[in-house]
Amino acid sequence: MSQNSYEGTISKKYRNKEIIKTSIGSLIYIIPMLITFLLLLFLLKHENFEEALILTIILLVTTTLLPILIILIISYLYETAYINNFSYSFSKENIVINHGVFTKTRATIPYSRIQNINIVNGVFDRMYDLYTVKIETAGSAAAAQAAQGGGFVRPEGYIPGLKEPDIIEKKINEMVTQYAGVPSGLEDKIFKPEELAFDNFISYIMSKMRTGEKLETKITQLRQKANLSQEKLAEEVGVPIQTIEYLEEGRYNPSLFLAYKIADALNCEIEELFKMR
Amino acid sequence: MKFKKKIKSRVKEFREELGLTQQELANRVGVSRQTIYYLEKGNYNPSLTLSFKIAEILNKPLIETFYRVPIIKDKIESLSFKKLKEISKKVGISYNKLGSITEMNEKELSEAFDEEILRKIANLLELDFNELFIN
Repeated sequence: MSQNSYEGTISKKYRNKEIIKTSIGSLIYIIPMLITFLLLLFLLKHENFEEALILTIILLVTTTLLPILIILIISYLYETAYINNFSYSFSKENIVINHGVFTKTRATIPYSRIQNINIVNGVFDRMYDLYTVKIETAGSAAAAQAAQGGGFVRPEGYIPGLKEPDIIEKKINEMVTQYAGVPSGLEDKIFKPEELAFDNFISYIMSKMRTGEKLETKITQLRQKANLSQEKLAEEVGVPIQTIEYLEEGRYNPSLFLAYKIADALNCEIEELFKMR
Repeated sequence: MKFKKKIKSRVKEFREELGLTQQELANRVGVSRQTIYYLEKGNYNPSLTLSFKIAEILNKPLIETFYRVPIIKDKIESLSFKKLKEISKKVGISYNKLGSITEMNEKELSEAFDEEILRKIANLLELDFNELFIN
Protein backbone atom coordinates (compact mmCIF):
# COMPACT_ATOMS: atom_id res chain seq x y z
CA MET A 1 0.00 0.00 0.00
CA SER A 2 1.56 3.23 -1.11
CA GLN A 3 -0.46 5.84 0.70
CA ASN A 4 -3.49 5.86 2.90
CA SER A 5 -5.18 8.87 1.44
CA TYR A 6 -4.87 10.97 -1.66
CA GLU A 7 -6.41 14.29 -2.43
CA GLY A 8 -6.31 16.93 -5.09
CA THR A 9 -7.91 19.82 -6.90
CA ILE A 10 -8.67 20.50 -10.54
CA SER A 11 -6.53 22.39 -13.05
CA LYS A 12 -6.97 26.13 -13.60
CA LYS A 13 -7.14 25.44 -17.32
CA TYR A 14 -10.58 24.03 -16.75
CA ARG A 15 -11.86 27.63 -16.59
CA ASN A 16 -10.47 28.51 -20.02
CA LYS A 17 -12.04 25.41 -21.43
CA GLU A 18 -15.46 26.24 -20.01
CA ILE A 19 -15.23 29.84 -21.31
CA ILE A 20 -14.36 28.67 -24.80
CA LYS A 21 -17.33 26.33 -24.65
CA THR A 22 -19.58 29.21 -23.63
CA SER A 23 -18.20 31.50 -26.33
CA ILE A 24 -18.79 28.94 -29.04
CA GLY A 25 -22.32 28.52 -27.74
CA SER A 26 -22.75 32.26 -28.01
CA LEU A 27 -21.53 32.33 -31.62
CA ILE A 28 -24.52 30.24 -32.57
CA TYR A 29 -26.61 33.06 -31.13
CA ILE A 30 -24.59 35.94 -32.68
CA ILE A 31 -24.55 34.72 -36.26
CA PRO A 32 -28.32 34.47 -36.85
CA MET A 33 -28.79 37.82 -35.12
CA LEU A 34 -26.20 39.44 -37.36
CA ILE A 35 -27.82 38.01 -40.48
CA THR A 36 -31.28 39.13 -39.34
CA PHE A 37 -30.15 42.71 -38.75
CA LEU A 38 -28.27 42.91 -42.06
CA LEU A 39 -31.29 41.56 -43.92
CA LEU A 40 -33.52 44.11 -42.21
CA LEU A 41 -31.07 46.85 -43.14
CA PHE A 42 -31.15 46.03 -46.83
CA LEU A 43 -34.75 44.97 -47.16
CA LEU A 44 -36.22 48.09 -45.57
CA LYS A 45 -34.16 50.36 -47.90
CA HIS A 46 -34.14 53.26 -45.50
CA GLU A 47 -33.79 56.74 -47.03
CA ASN A 48 -30.93 57.64 -44.78
CA PHE A 49 -28.65 54.62 -45.05
CA GLU A 50 -26.04 55.86 -42.54
CA GLU A 51 -28.64 56.48 -39.85
CA ALA A 52 -30.05 53.03 -40.38
CA LEU A 53 -26.59 51.48 -40.18
CA ILE A 54 -25.88 53.15 -36.85
CA LEU A 55 -29.26 52.05 -35.52
CA THR A 56 -28.54 48.47 -36.60
CA ILE A 57 -25.16 48.49 -34.91
CA ILE A 58 -26.65 49.86 -31.67
CA LEU A 59 -29.33 47.20 -31.76
CA LEU A 60 -26.75 44.52 -32.39
CA VAL A 61 -24.64 45.65 -29.45
CA THR A 62 -27.48 46.04 -26.96
CA THR A 63 -29.40 42.88 -27.83
CA THR A 64 -26.55 40.53 -28.67
CA LEU A 65 -23.01 41.51 -27.84
CA LEU A 66 -23.69 43.06 -24.44
CA PRO A 67 -25.63 40.08 -23.05
CA ILE A 68 -22.96 37.74 -24.34
CA LEU A 69 -20.24 39.81 -22.71
CA ILE A 70 -22.14 39.68 -19.44
CA ILE A 71 -22.58 35.94 -19.79
CA LEU A 72 -18.85 35.52 -20.38
CA ILE A 73 -17.97 37.61 -17.32
CA ILE A 74 -20.38 35.68 -15.15
CA SER A 75 -19.05 32.45 -16.58
CA TYR A 76 -15.49 33.53 -15.77
CA LEU A 77 -16.39 34.34 -12.19
CA TYR A 78 -18.46 31.20 -11.81
CA GLU A 79 -15.79 28.87 -13.15
CA THR A 80 -13.14 30.51 -10.98
CA ALA A 81 -15.29 29.89 -7.94
CA TYR A 82 -16.03 26.36 -9.14
CA ILE A 83 -12.34 25.54 -9.39
CA ASN A 84 -11.63 27.03 -6.00
CA ASN A 85 -14.44 25.11 -4.38
CA PHE A 86 -13.73 21.80 -6.03
CA SER A 87 -11.73 19.26 -4.13
CA TYR A 88 -11.63 15.50 -3.94
CA SER A 89 -9.99 13.05 -1.61
CA PHE A 90 -9.66 9.31 -1.33
CA SER A 91 -10.04 8.02 2.18
CA LYS A 92 -9.91 4.46 3.32
CA GLU A 93 -13.48 3.60 2.45
CA ASN A 94 -14.85 6.47 0.41
CA ILE A 95 -14.14 8.97 -2.27
CA VAL A 96 -15.20 12.40 -1.05
CA ILE A 97 -15.89 15.09 -3.63
CA ASN A 98 -16.66 18.66 -2.56
CA HIS A 99 -18.13 20.82 -5.27
CA GLY A 100 -20.64 23.55 -6.00
CA VAL A 101 -20.62 27.32 -6.14
CA PHE A 102 -23.99 28.38 -4.79
CA THR A 103 -25.16 25.06 -3.45
CA LYS A 104 -22.23 23.29 -1.92
CA THR A 105 -22.31 19.54 -2.12
CA ARG A 106 -20.17 17.00 -0.42
CA ALA A 107 -20.52 13.67 -2.17
CA THR A 108 -19.26 10.56 -0.45
CA ILE A 109 -18.94 7.49 -2.63
CA PRO A 110 -18.07 4.18 -0.97
CA TYR A 111 -15.67 2.08 -3.02
CA SER A 112 -17.99 -0.88 -2.77
CA ARG A 113 -20.60 1.00 -4.81
CA ILE A 114 -18.36 1.89 -7.71
CA GLN A 115 -19.52 0.28 -10.92
CA ASN A 116 -17.12 1.65 -13.48
CA ILE A 117 -14.76 4.52 -14.13
CA ASN A 118 -14.84 6.49 -17.37
CA ILE A 119 -12.05 8.79 -18.43
CA VAL A 120 -13.40 11.31 -20.91
CA ASN A 121 -11.22 13.42 -23.19
CA GLY A 122 -13.49 15.61 -25.30
CA VAL A 123 -12.71 18.07 -28.10
CA PHE A 124 -12.33 21.00 -25.72
CA ASP A 125 -10.48 18.84 -23.24
CA ARG A 126 -7.91 18.03 -25.89
CA MET A 127 -7.26 21.73 -26.54
CA TYR A 128 -6.05 22.06 -22.98
CA ASP A 129 -4.83 18.52 -22.45
CA LEU A 130 -7.43 17.87 -19.75
CA TYR A 131 -9.41 14.82 -18.75
CA THR A 132 -12.68 14.24 -16.96
CA VAL A 133 -13.08 11.26 -14.67
CA LYS A 134 -16.62 9.95 -14.25
CA ILE A 135 -17.24 7.46 -11.49
CA GLU A 136 -20.47 5.55 -11.97
CA THR A 137 -22.12 3.92 -9.03
CA ALA A 138 -24.60 1.09 -8.91
CA GLY A 139 -28.22 2.14 -8.83
CA SER A 140 -27.49 5.82 -8.45
CA ALA A 141 -30.14 8.48 -8.84
CA ALA A 142 -28.28 9.65 -11.91
CA ALA A 143 -28.46 6.25 -13.54
CA ALA A 144 -32.18 5.97 -12.78
CA GLN A 145 -32.83 9.39 -14.25
CA ALA A 146 -30.84 8.64 -17.36
CA ALA A 147 -32.80 5.43 -17.84
CA GLN A 148 -36.05 7.40 -17.81
CA GLY A 149 -34.71 9.60 -20.58
CA GLY A 150 -33.73 12.40 -18.27
CA GLY A 151 -31.14 13.66 -20.72
CA PHE A 152 -27.73 14.78 -19.60
CA VAL A 153 -27.13 13.83 -16.01
CA ARG A 154 -23.80 14.03 -14.31
CA PRO A 155 -22.77 10.87 -12.51
CA GLU A 156 -22.29 11.01 -8.75
CA GLY A 157 -18.56 11.03 -9.05
CA TYR A 158 -17.62 13.73 -11.51
CA ILE A 159 -14.10 15.14 -11.48
CA PRO A 160 -13.40 17.48 -14.40
CA GLY A 161 -10.25 19.28 -15.50
CA LEU A 162 -7.64 16.70 -14.59
CA LYS A 163 -4.10 16.70 -15.91
CA GLU A 164 -3.24 13.12 -15.02
CA PRO A 165 -6.35 10.95 -14.79
CA ASP A 166 -4.35 7.72 -14.71
CA ILE A 167 -3.20 8.39 -11.16
CA ILE A 168 -6.81 8.68 -10.04
CA GLU A 169 -7.92 5.64 -11.96
CA LYS A 170 -5.10 3.60 -10.50
CA LYS A 171 -5.87 4.85 -7.02
CA ILE A 172 -9.56 4.00 -7.32
CA ASN A 173 -8.83 0.56 -8.72
CA GLU A 174 -6.37 -0.09 -5.95
CA MET A 175 -8.89 0.93 -3.32
CA VAL A 176 -11.77 -0.95 -4.95
CA THR A 177 -9.89 -4.22 -5.01
CA GLN A 178 -8.55 -3.66 -1.55
CA TYR A 179 -11.71 -2.81 0.28
CA ALA A 180 -14.60 -4.08 -1.76
CA GLY A 181 -13.69 -7.65 -2.51
CA VAL A 182 -16.95 -9.23 -1.51
CA PRO A 183 -20.20 -7.33 -1.98
CA SER A 184 -21.43 -6.53 1.50
CA GLY A 185 -24.38 -8.58 2.59
CA LEU A 186 -23.53 -11.42 0.28
CA GLU A 187 -20.51 -12.23 2.37
CA ASP A 188 -22.58 -12.72 5.48
CA LYS A 189 -25.15 -14.85 3.71
CA ILE A 190 -22.81 -17.22 2.02
CA PHE A 191 -19.58 -17.25 3.87
CA LYS A 192 -20.51 -17.24 7.51
CA PRO A 193 -22.74 -20.24 8.04
CA GLU A 194 -22.24 -20.22 11.78
CA GLU A 195 -24.08 -16.94 11.97
CA LEU A 196 -27.14 -17.99 10.00
CA ALA A 197 -30.60 -18.26 11.49
CA PHE A 198 -31.48 -21.76 12.50
CA ASP A 199 -33.84 -22.65 9.63
CA ASN A 200 -31.37 -21.30 7.12
CA PHE A 201 -28.75 -23.21 8.93
CA ILE A 202 -30.56 -26.52 8.47
CA SER A 203 -31.00 -25.95 4.76
CA TYR A 204 -27.35 -25.02 4.63
CA ILE A 205 -26.48 -28.30 6.29
CA MET A 206 -28.66 -30.21 3.82
CA SER A 207 -26.88 -28.60 0.91
CA LYS A 208 -23.53 -29.40 2.44
CA MET A 209 -24.29 -33.03 3.18
CA ARG A 210 -23.35 -34.22 -0.25
CA THR A 211 -19.90 -32.71 -0.09
CA GLY A 212 -19.62 -33.71 3.54
CA GLU A 213 -19.53 -37.36 2.61
CA LYS A 214 -15.92 -37.11 1.65
CA LEU A 215 -14.87 -35.88 5.07
CA GLU A 216 -13.60 -38.25 7.73
CA THR A 217 -13.61 -37.03 11.28
CA LYS A 218 -12.19 -37.97 14.63
CA ILE A 219 -14.17 -35.34 16.43
CA THR A 220 -16.00 -37.85 18.65
CA GLN A 221 -12.80 -39.48 19.92
CA LEU A 222 -11.04 -36.19 20.45
CA ARG A 223 -14.05 -34.72 22.20
CA GLN A 224 -14.23 -37.66 24.60
CA LYS A 225 -10.50 -37.44 25.15
CA ALA A 226 -10.91 -33.79 26.07
CA ASN A 227 -13.74 -34.81 28.38
CA LEU A 228 -16.36 -32.62 26.76
CA SER A 229 -20.00 -33.41 26.13
CA GLN A 230 -21.63 -32.51 22.82
CA GLU A 231 -23.51 -29.70 24.58
CA LYS A 232 -20.40 -28.32 26.15
CA LEU A 233 -18.47 -28.33 22.88
CA ALA A 234 -21.37 -26.71 21.03
CA GLU A 235 -21.50 -24.01 23.66
CA GLU A 236 -17.78 -23.40 23.55
CA VAL A 237 -17.73 -23.12 19.77
CA GLY A 238 -20.96 -21.16 19.70
CA VAL A 239 -23.07 -23.35 17.41
CA PRO A 240 -26.31 -25.32 17.87
CA ILE A 241 -25.80 -28.82 19.23
CA GLN A 242 -27.18 -30.27 15.99
CA THR A 243 -24.11 -28.98 14.21
CA ILE A 244 -21.89 -31.05 16.44
CA GLU A 245 -24.12 -34.09 15.96
CA TYR A 246 -23.99 -33.76 12.20
CA LEU A 247 -20.28 -33.19 12.32
CA GLU A 248 -19.68 -36.31 14.36
CA GLU A 249 -21.75 -38.33 11.93
CA GLY A 250 -19.48 -36.99 9.22
CA ARG A 251 -22.45 -35.61 7.34
CA TYR A 252 -21.60 -31.95 7.50
CA ASN A 253 -18.84 -30.03 5.82
CA PRO A 254 -18.00 -27.22 8.24
CA SER A 255 -16.53 -23.89 7.26
CA LEU A 256 -12.83 -23.45 7.78
CA PHE A 257 -13.53 -20.92 10.50
CA LEU A 258 -15.71 -23.35 12.44
CA ALA A 259 -13.13 -26.11 11.98
CA TYR A 260 -10.50 -23.84 13.48
CA LYS A 261 -12.76 -23.03 16.41
CA ILE A 262 -13.41 -26.70 17.13
CA ALA A 263 -9.71 -27.50 16.87
CA ASP A 264 -9.09 -24.72 19.38
CA ALA A 265 -11.73 -26.03 21.76
CA LEU A 266 -10.35 -29.56 21.57
CA ASN A 267 -6.79 -28.33 21.70
CA CYS A 268 -5.64 -30.05 18.54
CA GLU A 269 -4.84 -29.36 14.91
CA ILE A 270 -7.45 -29.33 12.17
CA GLU A 271 -5.63 -32.06 10.31
CA GLU A 272 -5.93 -34.38 13.30
CA LEU A 273 -9.65 -33.67 13.44
CA PHE A 274 -10.65 -34.00 9.83
CA LYS A 275 -9.31 -35.90 6.89
CA MET A 276 -10.32 -35.98 3.28
CA ARG A 277 -11.28 -39.47 2.29
CA MET B 1 -8.98 -12.67 27.67
CA LYS B 2 -8.62 -14.23 24.24
CA PHE B 3 -7.85 -12.59 20.94
CA LYS B 4 -10.42 -12.74 18.19
CA LYS B 5 -8.85 -13.99 15.04
CA LYS B 6 -9.40 -13.85 11.35
CA ILE B 7 -8.36 -16.24 8.64
CA LYS B 8 -5.79 -15.05 6.17
CA SER B 9 -4.72 -17.02 3.17
CA ARG B 10 -1.44 -17.54 1.39
CA VAL B 11 -3.22 -19.07 -1.60
CA LYS B 12 -1.96 -16.35 -3.93
CA GLU B 13 1.63 -16.76 -2.86
CA PHE B 14 1.58 -20.53 -3.15
CA ARG B 15 -0.31 -20.45 -6.42
CA GLU B 16 2.25 -18.12 -7.95
CA GLU B 17 5.05 -20.34 -6.70
CA LEU B 18 3.55 -23.12 -8.79
CA GLY B 19 3.07 -20.76 -11.71
CA LEU B 20 -0.68 -21.29 -11.85
CA THR B 21 -3.24 -18.65 -12.81
CA GLN B 22 -6.42 -18.15 -10.78
CA GLN B 23 -8.37 -19.82 -13.57
CA GLU B 24 -6.09 -22.85 -13.69
CA LEU B 25 -6.29 -23.34 -9.95
CA ALA B 26 -10.07 -22.89 -10.06
CA ASN B 27 -10.34 -25.56 -12.76
CA ARG B 28 -8.27 -28.02 -10.79
CA VAL B 29 -10.27 -27.46 -7.62
CA GLY B 30 -13.55 -27.42 -9.48
CA VAL B 31 -14.80 -24.01 -8.41
CA SER B 32 -15.30 -20.69 -10.17
CA ARG B 33 -12.47 -18.22 -10.58
CA GLN B 34 -14.34 -15.76 -8.35
CA THR B 35 -14.11 -18.20 -5.48
CA ILE B 36 -10.33 -18.25 -5.81
CA TYR B 37 -10.34 -14.47 -6.11
CA TYR B 38 -12.26 -14.05 -2.86
CA LEU B 39 -10.15 -16.67 -1.15
CA GLU B 40 -7.00 -14.79 -2.02
CA LYS B 41 -8.50 -11.61 -0.69
CA GLY B 42 -8.89 -13.45 2.57
CA ASN B 43 -12.37 -12.30 3.43
CA TYR B 44 -14.03 -15.55 2.48
CA ASN B 45 -14.69 -18.36 4.87
CA PRO B 46 -14.38 -21.47 2.71
CA SER B 47 -15.74 -24.88 3.56
CA LEU B 48 -13.33 -27.33 5.07
CA THR B 49 -13.37 -29.70 2.11
CA LEU B 50 -12.61 -26.85 -0.27
CA SER B 51 -9.75 -25.76 1.95
CA PHE B 52 -8.35 -29.28 2.02
CA LYS B 53 -8.61 -29.59 -1.75
CA ILE B 54 -6.80 -26.32 -2.33
CA ALA B 55 -4.07 -27.11 0.17
CA GLU B 56 -3.62 -30.49 -1.48
CA ILE B 57 -3.33 -29.02 -4.96
CA LEU B 58 -0.93 -26.37 -3.74
CA ASN B 59 1.00 -29.12 -1.98
CA LYS B 60 1.09 -27.25 1.33
CA PRO B 61 -0.30 -28.02 4.80
CA LEU B 62 -3.77 -26.67 5.43
CA ILE B 63 -2.72 -24.56 8.40
CA GLU B 64 -0.09 -22.83 6.31
CA THR B 65 -2.37 -22.17 3.39
CA PHE B 66 -5.04 -20.74 5.66
CA TYR B 67 -3.61 -19.34 8.84
CA ARG B 68 -5.17 -17.26 11.56
CA VAL B 69 -3.98 -14.01 12.99
CA PRO B 70 -5.41 -11.97 15.86
CA ILE B 71 -7.44 -9.17 14.30
CA ILE B 72 -5.48 -6.56 16.22
CA LYS B 73 -2.23 -7.81 14.70
CA ASP B 74 -3.67 -7.70 11.23
CA LYS B 75 -4.90 -4.16 11.81
CA ILE B 76 -1.55 -2.95 13.06
CA GLU B 77 0.17 -4.49 10.05
CA SER B 78 -2.05 -2.59 7.68
CA LEU B 79 -1.34 0.79 9.25
CA SER B 80 0.89 3.41 7.73
CA PHE B 81 4.08 4.50 9.39
CA LYS B 82 2.55 7.85 10.25
CA LYS B 83 -0.57 6.40 11.85
CA LEU B 84 1.52 3.94 13.83
CA LYS B 85 3.63 6.76 15.22
CA GLU B 86 0.52 8.72 16.12
CA ILE B 87 -1.00 5.78 17.98
CA SER B 88 2.17 4.90 19.87
CA LYS B 89 2.43 8.50 20.99
CA LYS B 90 -1.17 8.63 22.20
CA VAL B 91 -0.99 5.31 24.01
CA GLY B 92 2.32 6.21 25.57
CA ILE B 93 4.41 3.28 24.42
CA SER B 94 7.38 3.34 22.09
CA TYR B 95 6.93 3.05 18.38
CA ASN B 96 9.12 -0.05 18.28
CA LYS B 97 7.06 -1.76 20.91
CA LEU B 98 3.85 -1.12 19.04
CA GLY B 99 5.41 -2.32 15.80
CA SER B 100 6.65 -5.48 17.49
CA ILE B 101 3.02 -6.63 17.76
CA THR B 102 3.29 -7.83 14.18
CA GLU B 103 6.04 -10.26 15.13
CA MET B 104 4.48 -11.70 18.24
CA ASN B 105 2.36 -14.76 18.61
CA GLU B 106 -0.78 -14.73 20.68
CA LYS B 107 0.87 -15.74 23.93
CA GLU B 108 3.65 -13.20 23.68
CA LEU B 109 1.12 -10.60 22.79
CA SER B 110 -0.97 -11.08 25.90
CA GLU B 111 2.16 -11.11 28.05
CA ALA B 112 3.67 -7.99 26.53
CA PHE B 113 0.59 -5.79 26.74
CA ASP B 114 -1.87 -5.41 29.54
CA GLU B 115 -5.57 -5.10 28.92
CA GLU B 116 -5.69 -1.38 29.50
CA ILE B 117 -3.17 -0.64 26.76
CA LEU B 118 -4.89 -3.01 24.35
CA ARG B 119 -8.15 -1.27 25.09
CA LYS B 120 -6.56 2.08 24.31
CA ILE B 121 -5.12 0.80 21.05
CA ALA B 122 -8.48 -0.66 20.04
CA ASN B 123 -10.05 2.67 20.81
CA LEU B 124 -7.58 4.56 18.64
CA LEU B 125 -8.13 2.08 15.83
CA GLU B 126 -11.82 2.95 16.14
CA LEU B 127 -12.65 -0.65 16.91
CA ASP B 128 -14.94 -2.02 19.51
CA PHE B 129 -13.12 -3.98 22.20
CA ASN B 130 -15.43 -6.92 21.55
CA GLU B 131 -14.39 -6.97 17.92
CA LEU B 132 -10.86 -7.76 18.98
CA PHE B 133 -11.18 -9.85 22.12
CA ILE B 134 -13.26 -12.51 23.73
CA ASN B 135 -13.62 -11.87 27.41
